[in-house]
Amino acid sequence: MAEKIVEELKPFFEPKAVAIIGATDKKGKVGNVIFENFRMNKERGIFKGKIYPVNPKLDEIEGYKVYHDVKELPDDTDLAVIAIPAKFVPATMRDIAEKGIKAVIIITGGFGELGEEGKRMEQEILEIARANGIRVIGPNCVGVYVPDTGVDTVFLPEEKMDRPKSGPIAFVSQSGAFAAAMLDWAAGEDVGIGKMVSYGNKIDVDDADLMEYFIHDDEIKVVTFYIEGVKDGRKFMDAARKITKVKPVIALKSGRTEYGAKAASSHTGSLAGADTIYDAVFKQTGIIRAEDFEHMFDLAKAFAALGHKLPKGDRIGIITDGGGAGVMASDAVARFGLKMAELSDETIKFLKENFPPHAVAGNPTDVVGDTDAERYRIAIEAFTKDPNVDAIVIIVLFQVPLLEEEKIIEILADYQKKSDKPIVAVAMGGRKTDRYARMLEERGVPVYPTPERGVRAMAGLVRYAEYLRKVKGE
Amino acid sequence: MSAREEALKVIESVLKSGRTALVEYEAKQVLKAYGLPVPNEKLAKTLDEALEYAEEIGYPVAMKLMSPQILHKSDAKVVMLNIKSPEELKQKWEEIHENARKYRPDAEILGVLIAPMLRPGREIIIGVTEDPQFGHAIMFGLGGIFVEVLKDVTFRIIPITEKDARKMITEIKGYPILAGARGEEPADIDAIVDMLLKVSQLVDELRDYIKEMDLNPVFVYEKGKGAVVVDARIIAKAPEEKKE
Repeated sequence: MAEKIVEELKPFFEPKAVAIIGATDKKGKVGNVIFENFRMNKERGIFKGKIYPVNPKLDEIEGYKVYHDVKELPDDTDLAVIAIPAKFVPATMRDIAEKGIKAVIIITGGFGELGEEGKRMEQEILEIARANGIRVIGPNCVGVYVPDTGVDTVFLPEEKMDRPKSGPIAFVSQSGAFAAAMLDWAAGEDVGIGKMVSYGNKIDVDDADLMEYFIHDDEIKVVTFYIEGVKDGRKFMDAARKITKVKPVIALKSGRTEYGAKAASSHTGSLAGADTIYDAVFKQTGIIRAEDFEHMFDLAKAFAALGHKLPKGDRIGIITDGGGAGVMASDAVARFGLKMAELSDETIKFLKENFPPHAVAGNPTDVVGDTDAERYRIAIEAFTKDPNVDAIVIIVLFQVPLLEEEKIIEILADYQKKSDKPIVAVAMGGRKTDRYARMLEERGVPVYPTPERGVRAMAGLVRYAEYLRKVKGE
Repeated sequence: MSAREEALKVIESVLKSGRTALVEYEAKQVLKAYGLPVPNEKLAKTLDEALEYAEEIGYPVAMKLMSPQILHKSDAKVVMLNIKSPEELKQKWEEIHENARKYRPDAEILGVLIAPMLRPGREIIIGVTEDPQFGHAIMFGLGGIFVEVLKDVTFRIIPITEKDARKMITEIKGYPILAGARGEEPADIDAIVDMLLKVSQLVDELRDYIKEMDLNPVFVYEKGKGAVVVDARIIAKAPEEKKE
């Protein structure tokens, strides 16, 4: 079963030969952008497969032979990307079935989202797919983006949308616009995305299929979903329960429609909005719910960096060089349901012995504004050794004059590597701070621009660790 | 007879009479089949039966008129509490029927439930609703304003585990009220867990027959003293809604 889903979905992510149906030489058209994506990635040496443009009216694009018909395609074609008007898609699907291609991405919109005729066509496409063992992503989507293999069906040209680097995060989105904006944003923030799937109307491949697939995908450490709705709730829950035992899943659920209100003949009915039900589903399956876009990314970043060393408990130690930031972080610890660690006597003693008198040994520990990197090192050393501390939030205001930036970055990265306690950093500031934050993230320390966001991301790690302990204890 | 068969017998006879809403008495029969704690109460069809049952149960008793057309019993003034003697019962019997006729002249009267007066406890609500995507979900919350105004409730998809049930209880904001705030004794949490699990099992086994359910209120007593379903409603699925 598991192997089956891997085998079925593999061509979407690493095709041997892709047919682009509706490829064209007209700049800016969807069929042109997708073709160009593959062509450019081939030129760069990232896409290793073959590219077969299909268009009845052209013989050649950019030196590539154009096939006039799906039936003429070489037999090694294992992925078809469809970017032709909706009304031609069912007939094309029949040709695809005959040709024996088993993976299809339908980019084209104008189906179920437009009404009855579109729904009928979707049904027809699905029947062809089912009868011939074809898996379909879409329609009405931007498809798939995989930086490692050069698969890129996102029809937004590179001049307009940056592509993120490769990384351990999988991102799945119902909305194509959201997926595209997210990729662009990830690129801007230097966050790595291993695989992106936008499935649009998801007539076939759905969240549950993708969760099953990602269980077996070793490149992916955390899976992030943007969900509007789920069609088969049981299938979703079964797949979610399986994957969350292996890797974290984050979901951002939109559409807070209270359809339950119309069934308001009971108290329960009137209170069971879609949202409360999703809350329940996420709790029962161990999916971590993101409150908003920002939270989703903060969590993804935390899990990508620290999924391998989750906190053993919920006791947080805070180190800061600014008193106010320490208070904000402490408030956030309470707000997100965590505890402030009570430092051991040895820790306090060690800090007092090694600190100048005006630095504050406690939790938060305040190394104060005249700190250098060494004073941070002393504090981190003590916190990582203290059995009462499960996770550490380190606030670094890079602006203070004596703090050697490279040195503090080195220290944080070093402790992140050698300690089994997860460390997140908070760096508040502008352009200069951003630059150091990037350097820290390069070295495996996730950095957040406010104490709240840093602590909230840590709370996600704590909750997931609790969930894992719970399911493994059962 | 298995719990399922017993409960199904009640539901099917309601459906046969052309209704989907079970009256309180019927709903409690379904709950009782699954071992949920319901009061020792009886449905009296005549005044004589009512007097006999009241004697059996022991005064004071409560009277609740059962009619498929009167689902909001308080609005129709067909609930009479704390009846202390046969004389009072006779008088209230007239009054309760008159109120029913005034409220809904066409009300079909199935009888009057004669029930013991219950010692008040902390009020909770347990509910069930069916979600189109995920199926039946169970709800838990404190009763009264906590559910009406504050909407302090939590849901899980059925079936639930004991861990789910315990988590539901502790995750509502009003949990300290059950845990025993300000010197109050803690409530019987285990009894609530047991009820949640039984409701989950009931609905899991009868998912093709039950659309929604409210146990509201349920009185929960001090630790070790149990709980009791004071009022209950069940909406069954009309035969055409069943998936089969």
